[in-house]
Amino acid sequence: MRDHIVFYVNGVRRAVDIDAAQQTLSEFLRSSQHPHSERLTGTKIACAEGDCGACTVLVGKPTADGKAIAYQSVDACIAFVFQMDGRHVVSVEGLRASGGLSALQTAMVDGHGSQCGFCTPGFVMALHGLAEEAGTLPTSLDDEEVRIGLSGNLCRCTGYLQILQAATSLRPDAIASMSQLFDESQMLSDFAKLGGEAVVMESSDGKVVAVPRSLSDLIRFRTEMSSARLVAGATDLGVQRNHGLFEPVEVISTCEIPELQTIAVDGDELVVGAAATWQEFDEFICDRLPEYHQILLRFGSPQVRHMGTLAGNLANASPIADSIPFHFVTETVIEVESTRGPRRIPIADFYKGYKQIDLAADEVITRVRTPLPPPDVAVKLYKMSKRRDMDISTVTAAFWLQLDGETVADARVAVGGVGPVVLRLSQAEQSLAGGQFTLDSLQAAGAIARSEVTPISDVRGSAGYRLQLVENLFAKCYYDLSASLSVAVS
Amino acid sequence: MSQVGTPVPHESAEGHVTGTAAYIDDLPRRERELYVGFVGSPVAAGQLAAIDIKDAAAVDGICCVLTHRDLGGPNHFGPIISDEPFLVADEMAYLGQPVVVVAGGTPDAVAAACRRVKLEYEERQPVLEIDDAVRREEFIGPRRHMTSIGAEDDAAFEAVFTRAKHTVSGRFHCQGQEQFYFETQAALAELGEAGEVRVISSTQNTTETQQVVAEALGVGMHQVVCVCPRMGGAFGGKETQSALTAVMVAMVAKRTGRPARLVLPRGVDMAITGKRHQYRANYRIAFDDAGRIAAAELAFYSNGGAYADLSTSVLERTMLHADNAYHIPLMRVTGQVCRTNLPPNTAFRGFGGPQGMSVIENGIEMIAETLGRDAMEVRRANLYQDGNPDRSVTHYGQIVRDHVLEEIFDQLAESSHYHQRRAEIEQFNRTSPTHARGLAMSPVKFGISFTTKFLNQANALVNVYTDGTVQVSTGGTEMGQGLNTKLQQVVADEFGLPLGSVQMMSTSTEKSNNTSPTAASAGTDLNGAAAVEACRKIKHRMRAFAATLLADRDKGLVASPEHICIAGGMVYDDRDCDPDAKISFGEFCNLARRERIDLGARGFFATPGVDYNRETGRGNPFYYYTTGAAVAEVAVDRLTGELVFDRADLLMDVGKMINPGVDRGQVIGGFMQGVGWVTNEDLRYDNEGRLLSTGPTTYKIPNITDLPREFNVDFIANPMHVKNIRQSKAVGEPPLMLALCVWLAARNAVSYVAQGQPFEMAIPATGEELLMTMSQLGKPATKLSAASGNGAASPSKAGAPAKTP
Repeated sequence: MRDHIVFYVNGVRRAVDIDAAQQTLSEFLRSSQHPHSERLTGTKIACAEGDCGACTVLVGKPTADGKAIAYQSVDACIAFVFQMDGRHVVSVEGLRASGGLSALQTAMVDGHGSQCGFCTPGFVMALHGLAEEAGTLPTSLDDEEVRIGLSGNLCRCTGYLQILQAATSLRPDAIASMSQLFDESQMLSDFAKLGGEAVVMESSDGKVVAVPRSLSDLIRFRTEMSSARLVAGATDLGVQRNHGLFEPVEVISTCEIPELQTIAVDGDELVVGAAATWQEFDEFICDRLPEYHQILLRFGSPQVRHMGTLAGNLANASPIADSIPFHFVTETVIEVESTRGPRRIPIADFYKGYKQIDLAADEVITRVRTPLPPPDVAVKLYKMSKRRDMDISTVTAAFWLQLDGETVADARVAVGGVGPVVLRLSQAEQSLAGGQFTLDSLQAAGAIARSEVTPISDVRGSAGYRLQLVENLFAKCYYDLSASLSVAVS
Repeated sequence: MSQVGTPVPHESAEGHVTGTAAYIDDLPRRERELYVGFVGSPVAAGQLAAIDIKDAAAVDGICCVLTHRDLGGPNHFGPIISDEPFLVADEMAYLGQPVVVVAGGTPDAVAAACRRVKLEYEERQPVLEIDDAVRREEFIGPRRHMTSIGAEDDAAFEAVFTRAKHTVSGRFHCQGQEQFYFETQAALAELGEAGEVRVISSTQNTTETQQVVAEALGVGMHQVVCVCPRMGGAFGGKETQSALTAVMVAMVAKRTGRPARLVLPRGVDMAITGKRHQYRANYRIAFDDAGRIAAAELAFYSNGGAYADLSTSVLERTMLHADNAYHIPLMRVTGQVCRTNLPPNTAFRGFGGPQGMSVIENGIEMIAETLGRDAMEVRRANLYQDGNPDRSVTHYGQIVRDHVLEEIFDQLAESSHYHQRRAEIEQFNRTSPTHARGLAMSPVKFGISFTTKFLNQANALVNVYTDGTVQVSTGGTEMGQGLNTKLQQVVADEFGLPLGSVQMMSTSTEKSNNTSPTAASAGTDLNGAAAVEACRKIKHRMRAFAATLLADRDKGLVASPEHICIAGGMVYDDRDCDPDAKISFGEFCNLARRERIDLGARGFFATPGVDYNRETGRGNPFYYYTTGAAVAEVAVDRLTGELVFDRADLLMDVGKMINPGVDRGQVIGGFMQGVGWVTNEDLRYDNEGRLLSTGPTTYKIPNITDLPREFNVDFIANPMHVKNIRQSKAVGEPPLMLALCVWLAARNAVSYVAQGQPFEMAIPATGEELLMTMSQLGKPATKLSAASGNGAASPSKAGAPAKTP
């Protein structure tokens, strides 16, 4: 076992102990770690809640074959340093390795892509992240790719258009890649030597950070450290930490377990490992569950999807979590494990109350098992939020309708944001099942649904608005499905 | 080659993209520097009885705990009315209002000490809403009036409404808006060896910061220097409200002798600083069959928050823009700032103008709906007409001249294919059960100058060095708007130098004294003119010297300053055909110094001819107007209220652009900020006066995906505009108000759902506002009152349109 973590910052090796490991990555970068080190203040903090992207850096991780490093954009303000073990972090200062301005930086300068400049390093790094993902594409990124790719970066000055135009003016193959800027072979051999060893760091005052690298280690640590907090992508815990609601005193990272990173189809079920990120999940389901993919594009930002996980989203148990309604209507099963053995929990039983889940102190979520909708089932997902992208939902909904010609053979409907937990609307489902698929029947079910939910008024919307949304989404589902069904028929 | 007119990059752009452009929190930590925090009022309204700081002061690592008793002077400040305490002494007037300042060696120690401060107080019921304040007559400043010539007589004015073929009336609501500058309020203070305080502040207003800090410390202004290298955005939010942060760090530095820094966390910044004012307005408008407006009566009420700040001035600009770009023959405008228990509201790009224009623009939409006409045609018919004396005079008596409003309308209608798209939208709306599309074109006419006369002044310091390079300092502050870039271009042109020879220096009260805030879109107008004045003084001396230096009896050239050219990096006599007789600018400067020629100068500029009489409501407050128009198309989901903004076409007259790249950025950025205000930016408070939307997670400024798919931005030439620096026009604020067309397009979409039913809609048009408005339309029982003469005006005091005495 190792008692420190090792990572690289802009090509420079850093081995740090628990005090640094419990900082956020942005705190680490912006502070002077030893008397002669440079403060890397190019990484800016504007919100400290992973919403604005001013703190965007690239985090590189060795690929499965260990021969290259793959980089993704990450919000440094909500990432913890202990999540960086075996990673190469590139901040905006790292681009100096290109010997001047990178092609992207030059495009931003010439295209008036900056005004006050505070958000600009974040945009530059997010764009470099897009270029890394695009690889050696000989055509420039299109408008849509850049919009989605920058949906995690806010700017108050420019109105974005000049940034968009600068970004779409370049071909990714004209932009220096991180592998060109840094000698990765040395890092890769260093990371290989660190190998599959678990990291456990302890401080004299009782703080512990554990980074297990096998499921058996994870379960053992979980048993031994019953008060520790499990941390997956930290995309919510990082926010809570900055708001003073969470201190990473005792934590176990769940994201370095190879067995839990897999995503596969097993029979007619989708099986997702607890450590798989949203990005990995999205790539896998993109064609298999296009409706889910459409919601995912608006769910968090690229930076958040690069860190966050499905298991984390389910365990976080927010009633407006965007993923949960789909898993309710598909009757997903959550697999957990402890030294006492495995357990399978139907998702409807998993939630006990507001942010309360059926998970014992010694258990960890291992996999999420989701029955794929059969071909005769139409699925519609809705995420209603104040702003279309990168916003917490006001109301979420999932419709699962088994259609036999014009008849609804079976219906499942789940909604979030209208009560302490996500709900199946059993009365509305009953009114739909066995009836005709018509606007009238959907509207009637919507009126019933209205009486099944008890929303509150909060910062995102009034109770009255939420009730109206729940009711109207049934009609919307009718129009959306009849449009896509008629397209399928023709 | 002229630098002016070219889109050179922002002078800090390389610093921005590399992350080396430093903001307050990025500056190196000073030796023995202290962290500063503060304890704010836990209630929005109350009476403070006692402050116990004993436990807080005892926390390990704490250096000082300061209260109002530690101030060196009187405990009040304010840019117009000095009514705001630095630190609460008795009355607690808004949640989070600073009471106790704490400084220590670590952030943890400061946080621990803040938790140990004990406040004893008696809580009161806060006043949060405008209507509540009106009922209780909680006002700031007097009620203001503006009455156009001919509208003075009550009976005659009333008769216009009685005789009018049509009227609309009602009550219009618009919500406030958070500036959401990326760099939060921040300041760093340190002492010089004579005990003078140097404050590095993220502020639009170095002079006021200097003055307020001096007052708080009880020292002369000469004992305080305020420096602002740059801001990470400001938008008006750092015109006055940067002062409190600066005062807190200055108090700590003065008390301890140690450097002290405070950078507000986002949530604190949003919770305790002022925003764009929320407004309520009662309106009634009389018009004919063509939609031509005969008379309008408008009564504005703004939510000023707890103290005056800039509210009276903001309200004045609201009233001065109640006409927007329309000639309204008879107008009565009144305005009243209401006092509530919210943080004092303040400047935000547009400065009351957006709220003023929104009411008449909503009214025109209602006129069009009443008449079944296209709102664009109604707008076109009501525009000010250049050169037509009957349609050129505003309600405050200023003549709107040298403008191209009608040309803008006609050109934009054509380039945006307005009529064709209107037909397509009508067709779409007849058939779609799920969506309603809307289209709107709206103009902007924004008055340029501070409406407070004395603020229309600036000074600049230009120093030329013996190698021919130049440093420029002005009182203008750089917040991203490109002021320094434009000044650099203007000064480079004055001396015929490349941009690289001109360096813009940090704004400092040491170099520029008694300056105005960088605000009112006038930063380049004022500071640019002052810098040019300084350059010309130096050039005058240079020419006199060069004339003698280059005079050549053999060539028959007598000394003649009029023939000296300073251009292309050279100094020469334009009568001399010998190219070798030219002297490089650098060499010339060196020679000039040796002949004891002064190569530094201070320039001063005061805008000519502007004045406004607040008592009579008449005058010429504006040097000129910046104008433009925009077309927006939106789709509204009839089932969810979700708004999709599909296309924007913008056309503006901003004169001859000093930097087309910067100006284009200002137009796009200002417009999108306005789009945020009218769509998704939704400030929500609880019943105790606590802001709930205190971060980007809950307060949604526009995202890149909110950009319309098609976004055309263009400029129109206006040869009649020949005044102002290099014949340019101010561009900072005007485009924000173009965004009203997005809201109007949303209203237009809803009007197709309403099918003739009258309705009211507020700003912002959130999904909730749109869905609930459409849901109301579906229910005849709760149908809104008809758009007839007495309409929806509430019977309360706030509701009755006020009569001009």
